[in-house]
Amino acid sequence: MVILCMEIAEEIKEARDILQVILKAKKLLRMYPPNNPIYTKTLEESFLKFKQFLDYKDNFTINIRQNSILYDDEPIYSSNEKEDNLALFFFKDGLRQLTFKKGLPSDELEEFLKILAYDFEHEAFDEDIVTLLWEKDFQYIQYIVDEAFLIDEEEENYEVVAEKKVKEQVTDVNDLVRAYFEGFQEEEHKGIAIVPLTDKDLKMLVEEIERDSSEKIGKLISILFEIIYQTVGKTDIEDIFAFLRDSVKYCAEHGDLAMILEILSKAEQTIKDPVIGEREKKYLTMLNQYIGSDEIISLFAELFDSGVDIDEGLFNNIALYFDKNAIEPLIKYLGELKTIRARKIIIDSLVSLGKKDIHSIAKGLNDERWYVVRNIIYILRKIADKRAIEYLLKTIRHPDVRVKKEVIKTLGELGGREVIQSLRECLDDPDMQVRIAAVKAFGNIATEPAKKILLDKISEKSFKDKQFEEKKDFFETISRWKDEDVFNFLVKIMQTRSFFNRGKLFESKACAAYALGLTGNKDAIIVLEKFKDSGNKLLRDYSNIALRKLING
Amino acid sequence: MAEKTEKQQEREIHRTSQDVVNLLSVVLRTAQIHDSSNVAVTTAIDKFLALINYLISIEDGISLSLVGEFFYLNEIRIRYSLEYLLNFDFLIREFKKREIGKVFFKQPLKPEDMQIFLKGFIAAGFSDSPYEVINEVLSETERIEIDRLKKISEGGTVDTRKVIKKSYYNAVSFTKGVINKIRAGEKVNLKKAKRIVETMVDQILEEEKLLLGMTVIKDYDEYTYHHSVNVSILSIALGQRMGLNKRMLTELGLVALFHDIGKIEIPEEILNKPTNFTDDEWKLIKMHPLWGVKAILKLRGLDNITIKSAIVAFEHHLNYDLSGYPKVTKYHELDFYSRIVSVVDQYDAMTSSRVYSRIPLAPDKALSIMMERAGTQIDPLLFKFFINMVGVFPIGTLVMLDTKEMGLVYESDVVFADRPRVLIIINRNGERVNGPVVNLTEKDDTGKYLRTIVKTLDPNKYRINLAEYLL
Repeated sequence: MVILCMEIAEEIKEARDILQVILKAKKLLRMYPPNNPIYTKTLEESFLKFKQFLDYKDNFTINIRQNSILYDDEPIYSSNEKEDNLALFFFKDGLRQLTFKKGLPSDELEEFLKILAYDFEHEAFDEDIVTLLWEKDFQYIQYIVDEAFLIDEEEENYEVVAEKKVKEQVTDVNDLVRAYFEGFQEEEHKGIAIVPLTDKDLKMLVEEIERDSSEKIGKLISILFEIIYQTVGKTDIEDIFAFLRDSVKYCAEHGDLAMILEILSKAEQTIKDPVIGEREKKYLTMLNQYIGSDEIISLFAELFDSGVDIDEGLFNNIALYFDKNAIEPLIKYLGELKTIRARKIIIDSLVSLGKKDIHSIAKGLNDERWYVVRNIIYILRKIADKRAIEYLLKTIRHPDVRVKKEVIKTLGELGGREVIQSLRECLDDPDMQVRIAAVKAFGNIATEPAKKILLDKISEKSFKDKQFEEKKDFFETISRWKDEDVFNFLVKIMQTRSFFNRGKLFESKACAAYALGLTGNKDAIIVLEKFKDSGNKLLRDYSNIALRKLING
Repeated sequence: MAEKTEKQQEREIHRTSQDVVNLLSVVLRTAQIHDSSNVAVTTAIDKFLALINYLISIEDGISLSLVGEFFYLNEIRIRYSLEYLLNFDFLIREFKKREIGKVFFKQPLKPEDMQIFLKGFIAAGFSDSPYEVINEVLSETERIEIDRLKKISEGGTVDTRKVIKKSYYNAVSFTKGVINKIRAGEKVNLKKAKRIVETMVDQILEEEKLLLGMTVIKDYDEYTYHHSVNVSILSIALGQRMGLNKRMLTELGLVALFHDIGKIEIPEEILNKPTNFTDDEWKLIKMHPLWGVKAILKLRGLDNITIKSAIVAFEHHLNYDLSGYPKVTKYHELDFYSRIVSVVDQYDAMTSSRVYSRIPLAPDKALSIMMERAGTQIDPLLFKFFINMVGVFPIGTLVMLDTKEMGLVYESDVVFADRPRVLIIINRNGERVNGPVVNLTEKDDTGKYLRTIVKTLDPNKYRINLAEYLL
């Protein structure tokens, strides 16, 4: 007797231990991914506990009450909490008994524990625990469910009342007997021919099922557009518009760009249809605003950053439907994207959108993030609209050199008299990178005043003190003009003599030699020949480079 | 190579079990066409032996049993497979014809054993005592034995019937609750709807006939709720026949349950109007597919279920050839689920007393009308599956037997479409009785059927309350 009691006590203890590993697994499997060692270890421990128990018993059965779990009528778990209460967790969905059978395999236990680890409180989560157990069709885990909770209290007696009602309508025996006797007069049953199913039928059915397995959102969208033709009141079109918006969002969440394009294209066609009323057109037009809203752009951004393979062409076509309200969210998410590819897609769409509203794009120049500002400048350069100059000139004093360089480059490409003064100031910037950018910008402007500014700068006394790299950029830039002024200017430098600071002078001469080579003017050959054997290595090398270029073309 | 998981092993077992039924079926089919020495037969035998002998070597004997409408291989129920559907049906029919309940392959077989089996099997097909004939022939081999087909006991079904009835009414009252909630603008719990449908799916898989029997219960006052549940049950049953998996069956059951949800927008005084509808009222009625889409999409955010439910709500009256309502401008074809729901919706509506038609049609009459509509209003292929499911005499048909008994079709028979189980309600003396339930596949000693349906009657003409008998 004592031994038996001890055995029972031991069994209860083991049952409690199993409950504890279930609780632990419920928590940890939610926290860690399957490849994490803690996840694996938790599973192994859980399986071991079950195995140890089921090695000696055929089943492990627990009965579930609202606030307690019993094994063999003994409470092995109890809690009065509303949250983190395992008993209530099972109980509220109608689960009343769980049985784990001998032979329970580890993968089935894992699936079971994974179900417990789901975030059932999440609003979008649509399953309850019983549904998940049901879908798994476990072989070694059985459960008993009380379905009563599915029925509302006021409908509890529905079955009794309905059945009573049916039974009250007892067929009159006279009617029954009349049916019987009149039945003999009725015509014989001719029957309907049942054609047996054939292999061909099955094949056709399989094809139908396979064909039908594709995504259904497209069909729903077609239906919504069909309904537009049948709307009768304001609320109807408001509802349909809301559903179309939901569809756009659904497609964006699922990365279905083709379907979004389909919606927009259908809306466009429908707007053009003369039978469609003005109110409907107004709502359909609003779809273009919606696709450019923060809500949808954020989904696009997430999609682009996810690394999923997407068709950029499709997005570009979608971007054609954006209206200017898309610019602000596009800029916002441009700064948050992590991948170059994602940024490129957004930048491309901002380039095409910015053509409609350069002012909104330019607002991005005020962004606190330097890299966003640099991207916006790039976008303005690609748009190539001189109206951008006004905004860019305000950004030329941006504290970040990278931004400054981008502005200078863009101003150089846009050109125009109004940029000259700001660029000229940049030639004196303390940062060499900025100065070089300004030199190149003047080269891009390629006007006479630009040339003059560069020549004057080279002529300044202090020019010789610049680093060789900067000097070379100056000379390389002025070689673009290829005119007599520049030729003579370069030749003059080549012929300059000095007793002092000869090293710096040789640097300037070497740059001039290099530039003469770039002009392509063969008259320079005679000048350069004189320096091909110069004692100064720098001058000798650049003279020879220039000669080769001029002679060989 | 990595060890197979339990799931893979389980799948393999089911696949192998299906292969046994399939290969045996091929052997028997081929042997009914060709001489048993023909190469087609011997090849089929070789394939069957390769599999069965392998299984016998592992399991120490293999038994193939027929219980009800299902085959079991050593106690494991073989799942219905779409791929082998015809061979399954063939084998069930041939087993039943010969009253074979179990074939036990005791030891590894030789081709000669199968030749003996075939000899007995074919001879039994022409005999009035088929079981005895095959059993006698099989005495020539020690490696194959058979058992007689057992009748399923009535006792066990009583409680099951209660459970099924409860589930049915749960579903109806839940549907009523959902509709009332939507009307009141309250939130609907889809988790509960799933649970209701999952129960129905389980019951269709386990007790299809009983649950189908419940669809005969038509309550005029609660028509919409009963109809929604009936369409859901019939759709699941049809889906199951077509080999859809559990998840798809649940999906189908859910979308079917909500197919008429748009009717909540129609004023009750119109829905329950005792006289015919005016043109304007008809216009309103025809709006319910559109309103269904709106009601469903307003229930919650877009997801797989709401999308599919909205599609079915919109299309269920559109017709296979798109000639129905609502009128559409640019449309290609109905969704697969819509075509299923459309078939069963028409059937249940025609056989119910409802707004459009106060006097319901007898089930067999409804099928006749639907047959004319196959190819235009309804999908001919799906209708073919449907009619094969419900049989020539669907449950609830009032029939006159050649024995001068009158009865009600109680359960259909998967194999013998014109030989259902019938509840006798008037005996041959013209007296009212309550039972027994007779099986029209039963034969007398000479091999003649004991009872055959000769006429069908219209229960509405005589105000016969079918539900009274089926509950």
